[in-house]
Amino acid sequence: MEYLIHLAILFSIYAILGISLNLVVGYTGLLSITHAAFYGIGAYATAILLTQSGVGFLLSVILGIILAVLASFLIGAVLSKFDGDYYALGSFGFSVIVFSVFLNWQSLTRGPLGILGISKPELFGIDFSSNFAFLILSLLFLIAIYFVSKFIVNSSFGRVLKAIREDEKAIQVFGYNTLYFKLAVFVMSAAMAAVAGSLFASYITFIDTSTFTLMESIFILTIIILGGLANLHGSILGALFLILLPEILRFVGFPTDIAVQMRQVVYGLILILLMLYRPQGLIGEYKL
Amino acid sequence: MGIIPQLILNSIIAGAIYSLVAIGFSLIYGATKFFNLAHGVMAAIGGYSVFYFAKTLGWDLWLAVSIGMLLAGLIGYGLDKIIYKPLRKRKASNMVLLVASLGAFTALQAIIAILFTSQFQTISGNIGAQNIYEIFGGVITQTQLIILISAITIMAGLALLLKYTMFGKAIKAISDDEEVSKIVGINTDKIIGYVFFIGSVIAGLAGILVGFDTGIKPTMGLSLLLKGVIASIVGGIGNIYGGVLGAFLLGFVENFGIWKISGEWKDAIAFGLLIVFLIFRPRGIINN
Amino acid sequence: MTILETKKLEKHFDGVQAVDNLSIGIEKGEIAGIVGPNGSGKTTLINLLSGTLEIDAGAVIINGVQKFENINPWQISFYGITRTFQDVRLFEQMTVLDNILVVLTERNVFSSLFEKHKEYHLKKAEEVLQKVGLWKKKNQLAINLSYGQRKLLEIARTLAMDAEIYLFDEPFAGLFPEMVKIVSDVVKELKREGKTIILIEHNMELIRKLCDYLFVMDEGKLLAEGKPEKVLAKKEVIEAYLGK
Repeated sequence: MEYLIHLAILFSIYAILGISLNLVVGYTGLLSITHAAFYGIGAYATAILLTQSGVGFLLSVILGIILAVLASFLIGAVLSKFDGDYYALGSFGFSVIVFSVFLNWQSLTRGPLGILGISKPELFGIDFSSNFAFLILSLLFLIAIYFVSKFIVNSSFGRVLKAIREDEKAIQVFGYNTLYFKLAVFVMSAAMAAVAGSLFASYITFIDTSTFTLMESIFILTIIILGGLANLHGSILGALFLILLPEILRFVGFPTDIAVQMRQVVYGLILILLMLYRPQGLIGEYKL
Repeated sequence: MGIIPQLILNSIIAGAIYSLVAIGFSLIYGATKFFNLAHGVMAAIGGYSVFYFAKTLGWDLWLAVSIGMLLAGLIGYGLDKIIYKPLRKRKASNMVLLVASLGAFTALQAIIAILFTSQFQTISGNIGAQNIYEIFGGVITQTQLIILISAITIMAGLALLLKYTMFGKAIKAISDDEEVSKIVGINTDKIIGYVFFIGSVIAGLAGILVGFDTGIKPTMGLSLLLKGVIASIVGGIGNIYGGVLGAFLLGFVENFGIWKISGEWKDAIAFGLLIVFLIFRPRGIINN
Repeated sequence: MTILETKKLEKHFDGVQAVDNLSIGIEKGEIAGIVGPNGSGKTTLINLLSGTLEIDAGAVIINGVQKFENINPWQISFYGITRTFQDVRLFEQMTVLDNILVVLTERNVFSSLFEKHKEYHLKKAEEVLQKVGLWKKKNQLAINLSYGQRKLLEIARTLAMDAEIYLFDEPFAGLFPEMVKIVSDVVKELKREGKTIILIEHNMELIRKLCDYLFVMDEGKLLAEGKPEKVLAKKEVIEAYLGK
């Protein structure tokens, strides 16, 4: 039971990451491979604040969001000039740069040593240190993010995002300065990823740089492509699928280090097979 | 031993390695117009083949090197046949091809880690015993000299091949316009297959040389790929001479960039260069 | 009154002069045709007028006052210009209705975020889609329409803009006769409403029937201009089309 709760918590964290990335990749058609950077920014904000100051969990989440907004604003301002594969490549680059900062700014992040002893959250006098309580908390965050995202994609703004995805030059002629729209959705998506990061840090109570690599960004991308682009439910489904998948591999009985690599093989194959046979994923509404 | 001559030598050696990766990457991009993110893994395949055949099985070194290059070439060719060619047939967007190559990269890298562990390993047992030469006050090892010589040989050979053979002209025609090439009777699938083979052989060689110089680990392909991609874009994507130029520029910027700071920042500096180019000169030095 | 003017407009690609020292003026309320052989620079001109291509030299003057040496594409709708594309550019994986609604709603990031399309947006969308006979297909994806329907949807999208100047790039090409009639009715109605239309077209019969004024382009230059029947009778125009 305890293990199921653990999986459910991981599921809600990755569903948040998936939904938020889907706004950029699925709705706006911008292949961003830098989502783990903002996930990491949220996680480090919470980890550092909870271990080194008396600040509470909620405030650390807010600070993580603010930092992610600032970082994504700078990164997005550069990326938004591009589209297609150049956008993908540029985002690839930023993921490496942000990772380098995590790794090398050791006075703050302790680099590969990581930050230990992050406390479990306490909100409004309620203690969320039991896993079950934490699950409720993370599900609440998931639900909130789901509805915020739903609001975004159902607004006129969301329709413009899709038009940018379909033909950016054409929608410009109809009076939209698309740069601002691309930047805005990128920043919103990053803010949501930071929330997932705060939850992760506070749940695991230990973080180091190895969680926020390019591979993690690829994993989140796999979630949303598998579940289906431009469909919020698709991202939830994708997260569910890919969180449960390693459990199936576990029954096969690989040793731990091989199991980790085995997972990567499976994620890679999933991407290839989807591209070959079902580019819209399980329930997607957009084909790459 | 002066620091400046040494930095210059290091830059040239790095540039030689990067140009080997960039050449193949650029050649493939020219023919197919997509960023083949699986290209770097070919380098790892080359390096690990030599590790296995020469060090583990104790075969003749030259034989192992030949097998390594051949194997890299065949796997590159195979990826094209199994994944990219069917996608091209279906007129899939270059984003689909990019995501598929991302999947291939993820899977292959993990397979290497399963077969050989993810530890750093060396190919040559006697690195300390290498001959060392002094040039203009800098030091260069025998391996590094071989790197330089083979890089120059490959570049010259490829330049001749592209310029004077029918095969070279066919590649040029496909790069300019694939549809028209088909109409004038060029078997584009066959030529593109060869391009994948040749590009991957050269990447395999780059991996082998890096293996002799420093050592191998499964993720070596990724970092080499990133450098190759940056070199290609900085130089002018799809133009192999531009790729070579970009590779040496990158080598210099990287090695002089870490003069006063930790070497861990190398990747971030490299991507900083990419982003500067993306903003100010997105079509690279050689602008066609 | 001259509503749209170009002054010594220049554009070249890789050494080819696509638009060469072109100075033309278009009168308000008229249908101005642009004809010329393939590669004569007609589409390039439309792209320069709508900011989809950067101007190399020269200027575009709108309403006789606003002079542009460089136009951003998102500014042109503000000056009452809208256009279609020769290669039909729709928002493919969106519904027919969304293709129209997207040009009706708020242009600003923040106001669009807090806006859902309103009843009057829907009314307008219905009006323009009815006009081209696509209202019944409003929930289909644009990608699933036939070629002719795609061209009609593009026309409907410009109608939704309520613009002053319409740039139509070969709106009749490849259409069945009944669709040609729909489009020419739309063009005539726009003229009745006092709008200005710039029409690139190859069909001389349609040009004669619709256009008030005609510009003939060849190799990026203005070869001739004037009333259609006079211009089309000129020797150099016939030569440009049929070769010497």
